Amino acid sequence: MRLNLFCGALLAVSLLSGCATTARQDVQPWQRGTLAKSEMAWEPDPLMAEYRRQVQYSKEAASGGATIGGGGCGCN
Amino acid sequence: MTTKTKTSKALAALTQAALALPGAAMAAEIQSDYLFSYYKEGDISGGNKGSGSSDRFEIYSHMFRVVAPQDGDRAIGLNLTYETMSGASPWYIAPDANGKPQVAMSGASIREERVDVQGTYSLPIAPFQTAFSLGYSTEDDYEAINAGVELELEDDNTGITWTGGLGYSDDSLKPTQGAKPTSITKDDKRSITVYGGAAFVLNANTVVQGSLSYQNHDGFLSDPYKLAYIEGQSPVADSRPDKRQSWAATGKLRHFLPQYNGALHLDYRYFHDDWEIDAHTVEIAFAKALPENLRLTPSLRWYSQSQADFYAPYYNAPRSDGYASSDYRLSPYGALSARVDLTKAVGPWAIGGGAEYYKASKDFALKSVDVENPALIDYWSVQFRATYRFE
Repeated sequence: MRLNLFCGALLAVSLLSGCATTARQDVQPWQRGTLAKSEMAWEPDPLMAEYRRQVQYSKEAASGGATIGGGGCGCN
Repeated sequence: MTTKTKTSKALAALTQAALALPGAAMAAEIQSDYLFSYYKEGDISGGNKGSGSSDRFEIYSHMFRVVAPQDGDRAIGLNLTYETMSGASPWYIAPDANGKPQVAMSGASIREERVDVQGTYSLPIAPFQTAFSLGYSTEDDYEAINAGVELELEDDNTGITWTGGLGYSDDSLKPTQGAKPTSITKDDKRSITVYGGAAFVLNANTVVQGSLSYQNHDGFLSDPYKLAYIEGQSPVADSRPDKRQSWAATGKLRHFLPQYNGALHLDYRYFHDDWEIDAHTVEIAFAKALPENLRLTPSLRWYSQSQADFYAPYYNAPRSDGYASSDYRLSPYGALSARVDLTKAVGPWAIGGGAEYYKASKDFALKSVDVENPALIDYWSVQFRATYRFE
């Protein structure tokens, strides 16, 4: 299982690197106006995203992602 | 400098902000946010409840955040959360005369408060943009101190924005001593979180992000208020291993659809831990810009987990390792949730609201579940939020 996850991670990083090398040449800075729209943000509302993470963390077994999170339990 | 060059730099900066992770994102001006949320869990249905109150938790939350830029490339941030919680909680599960699991709820309604303060400071430490965080959270029976650092590196050669983070939390538990005994009077646990990720521009309308995270928990990981039923014995204290390691792989896609003037959001997370829980999370949303500076975002989320290897709704005999837990959070189930958000920008203000309904069931699980935990939750929550940017 851990080996599968590690292989998946390697594959994902390889794909990212390969795609990015291609994409870099295709998208110029002045073509990135759409990417700067608020609708395109990873988390358009960070406070709302933090609130939902806390609820999900206290009700589900799974957690984790590109965040170090905060503290506290808030469980019941 | 030509206008085109100025525009290009401004867009590059905006794109960088869009690719950045929340902890390391730089603000252009002072921004303050407030969020109020009301959360209410559905009562345990009559067919699943054995004894005690059927009223489950309701939570009122107030969250406040302010981020202030300093000297152009530095920023200081403060997050404050205040919550009040009340309601009854599942205590243990026992079979009825037909062997069907029934929930015994904690008798009296529990009332408590939680206060959480988080401070962040972002600054450039070549070649990274760096964000340090420090936080403190306290409840009647729980206290936690956490600290972390997050790094961000934009690679001009590849166009990839690399991010990484390290967090540590030291938590102390002092269970409230009420009418029912608890398994401990005091204990603690420590948690380490590490993550790494990469985001890049796929084309003029698409960005993607991938990340891996690892968590290590060490200490008292059981629930001091819960019991587990073993046939022929009095219910025993909830008992889990005192170590837990977990891994998560996450992928995110943002794709703008010009014909609909909105962005498709697609998130996926795979989770695995050494309690043998596997979980999948898929969330799809569409953030649509509307006239009058409105933004409407409907979303759907599906979640599914397998059970912890030592979990059972109740036990016919003690396990040889001594572990026992009937906590629904360790049971096999799936969950579906739907939410909608609406935001309107008015000058420096952005006012919004949202509502969500969540339901857990064995029927939503990825794999077939033989016995559903009768304490699975459903909840609905509503939010109001306001943002003000100081020009």
